[in-house]
Amino acid sequence: MSNVIIEQVSRNFGQFVAVDGIDLRVNEGEFVTLLGPSGCGKTTTLRMVAGLEQNTGGRISIGNEIVSDATRGIFVPSERRRLGMVFQSYAIWPHMTVFDNVAYPLRVRRRPAAEILGRVTKALQLVEMEGFAERPAPALSGGQQQRVAIARALVFEPTVLLLDEPLSNLDAKLRLQMGDEFRSIQKRLGMTSLYVTHDQSEAMALSDRVVVMDRGRIQQIGAPEDIYRYPANRTVAAFFGAPNLLEASVESCVRVDERRFRLEVVGRGWRGPCEAASEMQPGQAVTVMARPEDARLAPAGSKAGADELAWSGRIAHTIFRGPIRSIVVQTDDGRLNVDAPPFGSHAVGDNVTVVVPQRAAWAVVEKAAKAQ
Amino acid sequence: MPATPGLSWIGRLLQATSAGRVVAVTLLVVLLTFLSVYPLSMLLYGSLHSTPPGMAGTFNLDGYLQVLTLQSVVTLLNTVGISLAKTIPSLVLAVLLAWILARTDTPMRGALEALITLPFFIPPILTAMAWGMLGNPQVGLLNQLYQWVTGSNTAPINVYSYGGVVWHMMQYSVPFLFLLIVDAFRAMDQSLEEAARMCGASRLRTFCTVTLQLMLPALTGAAILSFIRGIENFESPLFFGTPAGIRVITTDIYDSINQRSPPEYQYATAISFVIMALLFLIVLLQWRILRGRSFQTVTGKGYSPTVMKLGKWRWATFAFCLLFFFVTVVLPVGQLLIGSFFKFFGFYQRDMLTLEHYRAVFGSSDFWRGFNNTILLGFVGATLTMLLGGAVAYISVRTRWRGRRLIDAMAWLPWMMPGIVLGVGFLWGFALLPHAIPIYGTIWALLLAYISLGTPLSVRIMSSAYAQLSFDLEECSRVHGASWLQTMGRIVIALAWPSFAVGWVLLFFGIMRELSASVLLYSVGSEVLSVVLLKLWANGNAEQVSVIGLIMMGMVILFRWVQLKVIKSRINAL
Repeated sequence: MSNVIIEQVSRNFGQFVAVDGIDLRVNEGEFVTLLGPSGCGKTTTLRMVAGLEQNTGGRISIGNEIVSDATRGIFVPSERRRLGMVFQSYAIWPHMTVFDNVAYPLRVRRRPAAEILGRVTKALQLVEMEGFAERPAPALSGGQQQRVAIARALVFEPTVLLLDEPLSNLDAKLRLQMGDEFRSIQKRLGMTSLYVTHDQSEAMALSDRVVVMDRGRIQQIGAPEDIYRYPANRTVAAFFGAPNLLEASVESCVRVDERRFRLEVVGRGWRGPCEAASEMQPGQAVTVMARPEDARLAPAGSKAGADELAWSGRIAHTIFRGPIRSIVVQTDDGRLNVDAPPFGSHAVGDNVTVVVPQRAAWAVVEKAAKAQ
Repeated sequence: MPATPGLSWIGRLLQATSAGRVVAVTLLVVLLTFLSVYPLSMLLYGSLHSTPPGMAGTFNLDGYLQVLTLQSVVTLLNTVGISLAKTIPSLVLAVLLAWILARTDTPMRGALEALITLPFFIPPILTAMAWGMLGNPQVGLLNQLYQWVTGSNTAPINVYSYGGVVWHMMQYSVPFLFLLIVDAFRAMDQSLEEAARMCGASRLRTFCTVTLQLMLPALTGAAILSFIRGIENFESPLFFGTPAGIRVITTDIYDSINQRSPPEYQYATAISFVIMALLFLIVLLQWRILRGRSFQTVTGKGYSPTVMKLGKWRWATFAFCLLFFFVTVVLPVGQLLIGSFFKFFGFYQRDMLTLEHYRAVFGSSDFWRGFNNTILLGFVGATLTMLLGGAVAYISVRTRWRGRRLIDAMAWLPWMMPGIVLGVGFLWGFALLPHAIPIYGTIWALLLAYISLGTPLSVRIMSSAYAQLSFDLEECSRVHGASWLQTMGRIVIALAWPSFAVGWVLLFFGIMRELSASVLLYSVGSEVLSVVLLKLWANGNAEQVSVIGLIMMGMVILFRWVQLKVIKSRINAL
């Protein structure tokens, strides 16, 4: 197993900057996900690590060995980087059987036949496809192709595993199942993995750390919980779920502990306490994020506690979603989404108060702070 | 992990160093320059040069002045008119056949499809000769039959006419158009039509507003291609037009060089240049019409659409397809068969039966030389052309190397050059080469001309083969440890070879049937079968022509069978 170090890596396509000087360190055995909307540079980053794309700036090392350095003109071709990769399309070669597909990385390395047989069988067992070895590759369903692609990527025990949206072509149920299976295989083998996806729930469920990218830059790196709870800026906040984002300005700021500050903010028709990652000056404009699941409904006219924010409004409409009911409340400062129990007694037109505890209200500034 | 030590340096040279790429691209540029740009520029040179190739002369515009005479304008109008006259009915027939075979429940559609596309693969010179015998106004079999049935003395059928030229061309353009459009019919997404029906459109309205509209790019493109081929056609006007005094550009070029004394090289070259300009205009027109609309507007997912139930009418459609096969294949082949066993063509009595023509043909050194030359040129030419096309297509489709567009364009150039025009270009080109390179008058001259003529087709076939292979398949191999060469061998070639084989067979057919360039570039010792046939025909030896024709037919059917059985089944297995 090896680590992957990406230092100041850039990639330009003519005038267009696809990846703009990113730094990332993936430790041995770690599962790191590159997450972002399409066109954010995540796939380009992965392809540069794979050697399928050459970086125009910066340096990439795998296992403490430099594989690409733009300034020194070093470029190790893909086939000598000892990687495994699962492609979005799976790239199962249609002219080979399942066995031949999985055996390919060993055959091109001229391993003896006995070893090939043993390893391929083991890899196929790992993905529970051992009964399909002699099937021609086109006669497989999407989920089976995906398993074969994973077996092929693992069969020669690569130093690093790269995955380019491997679950995006599967239906929702299979996607969950394959994701869980894959994570357990990865943990068992302790494989360093770099994973690309645009699906935030996938990223949160699988990763040790998530790297949020947008427009070629890293917006935030952190554990899934931290990124969800404490986004570094508005882009990251908006990317996870459908939070309420409210404009406000800072009135005062006090340090709570080494990573949190308590702010008093005032918005359009409301005021109250919230938290932030950095010290803010009075008068500064911020965006306050409050997630629907952290908000609750109180009877109209309820007073907010000392550590709470409150908005009064009227229920505009409700949507039944099964486990929860989404309630949209029209307030003086626009509409707020609240997740309520599915079988509550709220009706359209009721006057209510929306309450959010201070700990769940997180203020960010528009301009991205330097990533951690 | 290195590849085979002996070969790995090539891969490293091509992939790792930019010098290797420059060498590869430069080699191709030089090769393609000789194959396409050189004959083209020689056409311009020759059209301005007052004497035949290789002789001292002056430069003037006499050739182009001759093109501007009334006679030449009539020739030009003939060419365009005949091509239009055959394209329109051919398109109607081809659409009908494609609809029958792709969208109805006519019995035995698979076999019928193989039968009605067969005429496309028969060398036109064979059917031209057969129809020359069938439709001869004096002794033709069809006229004899008519007189026997009706008892009259008139001969209603005369193939030596405009009608004969158009009729003969149609036998080729119908299966040609059919092959181009049938996949569009087959891949047509049923749900698009069903959606129109659900919106309340009638069957006819659906056909006009949806089906036909979706087919339009494919139909227009195919019709223009067929029109271009009509202009390039040489055999039909040579056999049926020239005896009736109907001149088109291709036969005019041929006559000026081969039939007039002294040969009018300058005029021939000038009018060659004019026809190329004409074709270039048509191609530009085609691009304008099809701009933004690709041939693959209707792409299928490999399912077969539900077919229309015709009830007892399906036997009528079945009979219609069979009739087409009978007229285009059985009649001419039957004529060749009959002609080969009777002493004199036209006199079919039992006491005239003989095998002496077979003996004469098999004992003839001319025949064997032509046969050997054709087979040799077919194998070598088809292989080299596909290799060249494969390399050009790979660079232009799969890489971002500098110069890839240049070689793609150069390989496409011969597309605009009819065989006879390319023949004229090479005639000048070979004659002006230094004496140390004696190509003119050897079999190499024919080989180079065939490669040049076939390159656009081979590039097109290989380009679409590579384009269908997703880049992932190649990249996946690289990431998993295969070098560039290993990836080429195990993935790219392994997946593209069926297209290679299909292209190879098509080129082999093309070489076997080629007449117009061969007839200008052959010399004693390097005759090919089509030239041998033409010479025998000119000497009035229709009986031996029939024998050789049958042998060629046998080869055509054999190759077509191999193509359909072996290659198709391998492709379907993928």
